[in-house]
Amino acid sequence: MSRTSNRADGAVVRDFLSVADLLEDPQLARLYAALARSGETTVQELMTDLDLAQGTAYAYVNRLVDAGVIETVRDEQPRTYAACDIDLTLTGGEDAQEYTITPALVDAVGRRETDDDIDTYIDRHGIDGLATALTYAVDRERGEVTHRTMASDLDMSPLAAEIILQALRPVVVEHFDVGRSGASIADIDELDGV
Amino acid sequence: MSSIHVADTGLFVAMGKPQNRRYQAVERFVRRNELTFVLPERVYDELTVESSKEWTPPVDSAIEAGWARIAKPLDYTNPVVSRTMDGVQRYIANADDRPADEIERADPALAGVAAQALVEGRATDAYVYTTDRLAGEGAETILAGEGFDDAVTYVDGFRFVEDLLE
Repeated sequence: MSRTSNRADGAVVRDFLSVADLLEDPQLARLYAALARSGETTVQELMTDLDLAQGTAYAYVNRLVDAGVIETVRDEQPRTYAACDIDLTLTGGEDAQEYTITPALVDAVGRRETDDDIDTYIDRHGIDGLATALTYAVDRERGEVTHRTMASDLDMSPLAAEIILQALRPVVVEHFDVGRSGASIADIDELDGV
Repeated sequence: MSSIHVADTGLFVAMGKPQNRRYQAVERFVRRNELTFVLPERVYDELTVESSKEWTPPVDSAIEAGWARIAKPLDYTNPVVSRTMDGVQRYIANADDRPADEIERADPALAGVAAQALVEGRATDAYVYTTDRLAGEGAETILAGEGFDDAVTYVDGFRFVEDLLE
């Protein structure tokens, strides 16, 4: 193996470890997701958006910079930061299945801090389980499966599937182009004055 | 003109608990318009499954308050009802390349309840409120094929609740 490819291999493993850090720590994941959402941001703005103390915000931002998942955009005060894209494909399992870790999964994990349904789901099914649920959530919004398909595939109650799919919907809507479907109030004919 | 409003599990989950403003907005809306949500039996069973794990969506409180009820049992001897059920089952299976017999019967039951009301003349229009786009689109498509072209409308449960909050 050449020197160059050795270096590249190392970079991939470093990316993996950085992303693993993000998935392990919902606060870090939440901060990364906020940066990814807002583009170039100062620590001050992150403190306001996420209601973080100054010391905590700086500590997290430094950890994310060190991990290489965010970068400094402007070095003069006030410094600004931006999220680096995450696109890490892992292969594993019996059938050598592939899974790509994206900012959407990091965002979903970050929401565990503020969403009880996501928090409970991770407690029961792990981050890996949440990744699977996110795949179903995308497919369902695209009209390829229903909550009942997920429930029967994963051997859980349809209600449990519906609850996590609804909790993950904001992540899907934000990160994927799923389009819109169906009618709403304006199309319900017989109503008067609504 | 009378309509039937068929509701799926996701609508009740999206409303949240009775103290929630989404629930209250839906309740105000249905009372003002004198609507009643009709739930296929299988949907009611899903919502009220005894579980220590999940919170229970407020379907019983809506039934007690008179703006939701359980549909009468599906009449499979009616050819339109049974064809609609089979058709939606196949529609859902095809979307994901799986065998039709793997598809839960609660998905087709939404369209089945609508079909039965239309065929028996109890309704001239049917609205299907679901958060499963595939089930909603399946109901519209298959019932259009049974001759109910403009009579069936799939209402996106999320947008319905969100629009009520605006």
